Amino acid sequence: MITIILNNLEVQVEEGWSVLEACKFYGLEIPTLCYNEGLSPYGGCRLCLVEIGKPPNTKLASSCTYPCEEGLIVRTDTKRVINARNMMIELMLSIAPNSKTVQDLASKFGVKQLRFTVRNEECLLCGLCVRMCREQMDGKAIGFQNRGHNKKISTPFDIRSEVCRLCGGCIYICPACQLRCHGPNPDTAVCNACLQMDPTCVDVYDQAQCWMYDAGRCGTCVREDDNKKNNQEQGLRPDEAKS
Amino acid sequence: MNNGKFQSIEELKKRIETAKQKRETDTTPVLTVSAGTCGQARGSMEVIDALEKQIKESKLEGKVKIKVTGCHGFCEAEPNIILKPQDLFYQHVQPQDAEDIINMTISQEKVVDRLLYKEPASGEVKKKENDISFYEKQKRIVMGDNALIDPTDIEDYLSIGGYFALTKIFNGMNPENIIEEVIKSGLRGRGGAGFPTGKKWEFARRSSGDIKYIICNADEGDPGAYMDRSLMEGNPHRVLEGMIIGAYAIGASEGYIYIRDEYPLALKHIMRAIEEAEALGLLGDNIMGSGFDFKVRISKGAGAFVCGEETALMASIEGKIGEPRQRPPFPAVKGLWKRPTNINNVETWGNIPIIINKGADWFAGIGTKGSKGTKVFSLVGKINNTGLVEVPMGISLREVIFDVGGGIPGGKEFKAVQTGGPSGGCIPKEKLDLPIDYESLAEAGSIMGSGGMIVMDENTCMVDVAKYFLNFLRDESCGKCLSCREGTQRLWEIVTDITEGRGKKEDIELLEQLAVAVKDASMCGLGQTAANPVLSTLKYFKDEYYEHIVKKKCPALVCKEIVSAPCQYICPVDQEASVYIALIAQGKFEEAFKIIRKDNPLPSVCGRVCDHKCESVCKSGEIGEPIAIRALKRFVMDWAAEKKLNGQPPKTEKRKNVKVAVVGSGPAGLAAAHKLNLLGYDVTIFESQPVAGGMLSVGIPEHRLPKSVLNADIDYILNAGVTLKTNMALGKDFTLDDLLNEKFKAIFIAIGAHKSLGMNIPGENAESVFPAMKFLTQVNLGKHVDLGEKVGIIGGGNAAIDAARVAIRNKNTKKVTILYRRTQKEMPAYEEEVESAIEEGVDIQFLTAPTEVLTDNGKVKGVTCIRMKLGDMDESGRRRPVPIEGSEYTIEIDTLITAIGERPDTSFVQEKDNIRLTKWDTIQTDEETYLTDRTGVFAGGDVVTGPSSVVKALGAGKEAALCIDRFLQGVNPAKEYTLNRPSVYIEPVELTEEEIDTAHRPQMPRLAVEERKFNFKEVEKGLTEEMAVREARRCLRCELETEDGKKAIGREK
Repeated sequence: MITIILNNLEVQVEEGWSVLEACKFYGLEIPTLCYNEGLSPYGGCRLCLVEIGKPPNTKLASSCTYPCEEGLIVRTDTKRVINARNMMIELMLSIAPNSKTVQDLASKFGVKQLRFTVRNEECLLCGLCVRMCREQMDGKAIGFQNRGHNKKISTPFDIRSEVCRLCGGCIYICPACQLRCHGPNPDTAVCNACLQMDPTCVDVYDQAQCWMYDAGRCGTCVREDDNKKNNQEQGLRPDEAKS
Repeated sequence: MNNGKFQSIEELKKRIETAKQKRETDTTPVLTVSAGTCGQARGSMEVIDALEKQIKESKLEGKVKIKVTGCHGFCEAEPNIILKPQDLFYQHVQPQDAEDIINMTISQEKVVDRLLYKEPASGEVKKKENDISFYEKQKRIVMGDNALIDPTDIEDYLSIGGYFALTKIFNGMNPENIIEEVIKSGLRGRGGAGFPTGKKWEFARRSSGDIKYIICNADEGDPGAYMDRSLMEGNPHRVLEGMIIGAYAIGASEGYIYIRDEYPLALKHIMRAIEEAEALGLLGDNIMGSGFDFKVRISKGAGAFVCGEETALMASIEGKIGEPRQRPPFPAVKGLWKRPTNINNVETWGNIPIIINKGADWFAGIGTKGSKGTKVFSLVGKINNTGLVEVPMGISLREVIFDVGGGIPGGKEFKAVQTGGPSGGCIPKEKLDLPIDYESLAEAGSIMGSGGMIVMDENTCMVDVAKYFLNFLRDESCGKCLSCREGTQRLWEIVTDITEGRGKKEDIELLEQLAVAVKDASMCGLGQTAANPVLSTLKYFKDEYYEHIVKKKCPALVCKEIVSAPCQYICPVDQEASVYIALIAQGKFEEAFKIIRKDNPLPSVCGRVCDHKCESVCKSGEIGEPIAIRALKRFVMDWAAEKKLNGQPPKTEKRKNVKVAVVGSGPAGLAAAHKLNLLGYDVTIFESQPVAGGMLSVGIPEHRLPKSVLNADIDYILNAGVTLKTNMALGKDFTLDDLLNEKFKAIFIAIGAHKSLGMNIPGENAESVFPAMKFLTQVNLGKHVDLGEKVGIIGGGNAAIDAARVAIRNKNTKKVTILYRRTQKEMPAYEEEVESAIEEGVDIQFLTAPTEVLTDNGKVKGVTCIRMKLGDMDESGRRRPVPIEGSEYTIEIDTLITAIGERPDTSFVQEKDNIRLTKWDTIQTDEETYLTDRTGVFAGGDVVTGPSSVVKALGAGKEAALCIDRFLQGVNPAKEYTLNRPSVYIEPVELTEEEIDTAHRPQMPRLAVEERKFNFKEVEKGLTEEMAVREARRCLRCELETEDGKKAIGREK
């Protein structure tokens, strides 16, 4: 066992653990995307960032790939971590706004804006499928190609792979392929529905005015903005309310 | 010796000694030809062939030797030859020079003057290598030996004491001693991060492992950096020697040199060096009987920039994808094939033998507290002496750029220097005195990097620079980290939008946030520094980003989508020059006339006296002569006048029945009045002189701008419905309050700058001393001015030249002398005007300033002058004139005209007017609205800016009119900025081969000097139709290069 300092607390961890494993053990929630317990850590999605080192000489590192060392100082919820992580989520949203995993992350961590041009590529290059194929399915049918902004995942020479057994492991594990749930916002925007799970509609709308009623969808995820709150406080009916 | 291999240190020592002696005793002259990759590209191999042939022809075999060496560092002078032992330096040698070099220099010991180096700043000719300022401030401890040795011959390396360090380390120094020595020397990694080399070695030494590796990182990928290549090409054994020492210190038995395959010559030389060293037993098993085994292998890289990162590099050697991995574990613990590995850059290895030979104390004596030794920089970009420079740490950027580098070519102004390659940052001119070391560069927001140094001048757009590097990085990011892959891509997208005129105000904040996130969240050095180009340009050049985003302007005229056609872009009245030129080229003169008329209220005037900024930014001018845009405009206007097209008054909008007053009928006033009238306002112009035109009518003499031409333009404006009231001076005949009482809803003050400045020297108030403006006004109004026989004029602006040319047309005047304190180069007057004045017999004395006006009974009889010389550069980069003491002399004159500048006469302003004046007597207005402090009162033109050009005043008038319109409509009066685009795209003409070969700017036909005497006939006669069409066809049509332009003529990609 070795000692590390986790969020100002001295804690004992197994030697050989990654910082992420230590955090999980002690119940600290760290978001991940390219990490899966059954696969080798990759460190590509940069969501599991933690701040390492003694201030002011600290750096951010992906906790899934960072090994625990004696006396390591780790902080998991600093402003720097949050800012960088939120920017990563915003970037992910701009590539794969249709992914439920990404939209859920955005809601969970309060990322409410999407300032980049949406590309809708539906691949975050997290490499889960590549590792799934190689490490769990012993397939090695797919891999990374090119680098930088041209990077993609494909079979060798982009032709059907002879070693692929069509097991579907890659699709099973893909975080970008699961479609998002329908919310009030357009498909290519931030959903944020889960941010306000209070059934505000019951109070504010009647059936005739509820847009969800027309759409035939569940209405619990309407966004309650400040305006409506004010209107409610002033006792205004929706038709009198100023938008 | 056994199999030719050294069996002991003694044998090596002896061999070095013999080689040294041989070098010292051999006095045969040696022609050292620089033949690195750059030298070869500039033709050094052909020079070598020619020299060999010439030696044979001149039967000098054996009396002179040719040595083919690596790069001498002075790329600008390639191919260059140094003649040893005399150290004679020949630059830009061509094969045809071989004859002179052999027959004159070698046979007769005569210097071939034309091949000598000339200093770009002083023009001084330098004979010897070490006298050249490029080499003077350098300290070439690593690169210096390049010029001494043939890199393909180990014997040559031994003869300069090469491999001597090995005799030291195997003789009494144990590995700990070596590491201690390296730590003591203070050497830090030269690859960029600057980690202390000795410490790194110590970690690797302490790591336990059956096998240890060392690696030489020769994956040099920064654009513009090539010092590692040059060292490997020119002195490969130096690198090997360093590696052997390092391997011995760490206990490594195998070494790798990871080198880019794009470096064929370096590869060839290093491979040969390994073979030679192996053959002598300097590499291999049991080196010189020491029991130490060490082998070096080559690993060729495919050119991925990220493979310069150590963990990616090792992955690449292992045959995996070149992607970095998380550290720890550090390579010293788990590196190549999971074994302890030490990795250093080429230049770092090259420094090791020096430290061992000369000692750590000697090495630590060079440089600063935290950064020891020297650093090689590749000094490239807008710099006179392009080349590899090796300077001691701590030298200032200014010394490197201006002393070693010889400054900026073409007298341009320095803007910024980019250090550290794509991951580095731009350092602005305010930081030029920054000492070069790891810490201060990092503090300034850049990095040392591998030593790229790209110098940029005023014609560089910093946003474009950021875009260039981001484009490189988004390609070269390995793509593993989302932050780096997607971050650099998005940064590039945003910056691209900004450079193409689609930027939004919020973009700056987003750029800053994203850049910080990319820096923070990325795993390896590439990602962590990838945002530096954005962050450093944002730090020092945020204004430029704002200019692009808000004003849709690119101050350096680089961003194509923003600038479109530079001629139209720079024109204050938005004249679509490239469009009317295109129409002239097709012979459609009437359409061209309409295009000119559309934007320019005084086109015939501009066709004659405009200062044509359009021509100075014309792209044709960059490669040859700019298009004669002003002359083309005049041609169209003359043609239209002949066809009587000018008479038609323009259509105005429906009358609004709102009265606007314009004070002053100069270009600003006329332009504003015209525009407001077109917009439907009832405009009245108040003019203090008896005639309209302001400076155009009273300031510019007839021979440049005939009154008939001016009046035609003015009449056009008046005929459209503008009222003109002459002899109405503001402050004398009426006040601002009067105007407001008369129900004028807005007032535009455009009274120009007509008051001549005094000189503040004794005697200037004497009789027959005239301020230039007063003199020109009198002459232009047809009044008599009593000029003497000898007229002196002080000043160098257009007023001075105009006054001189008017004076010389006077029958009584025999001699006109202009006194100007700087040189012709600095003269603000138009070049062609100065030439005409000289042609007509005006004498201009440069570098002369008056100190006293000599009088006799109150009349001028002469001026005492003092000679000036150009002193040090001031902040603007121009040299300041300083008087030469004791050089006073007197010139005899009887009339003196002073033309040292004008100011507006704003004496009408009273406290109650609530109009603020600046200390230059100009009116203070809001830059965005032309509003003075008083509501409803606007001002523009020279009265706001001080004396400026006609077209600037026209532009101000036009813009102010739009602001007034918005003001009167009750909306925000601020200027609206739009992207510069022509109203119509014209199909380009195709030129014949013959036309391309013979294309040149036409000479403006002028009256002969004889015909100009004693009259005010217009001097310039205008282009003929044939000349105009031919000239117009030469236009490069820059506006068609934008995406809009390509689309419009159906040539999009």
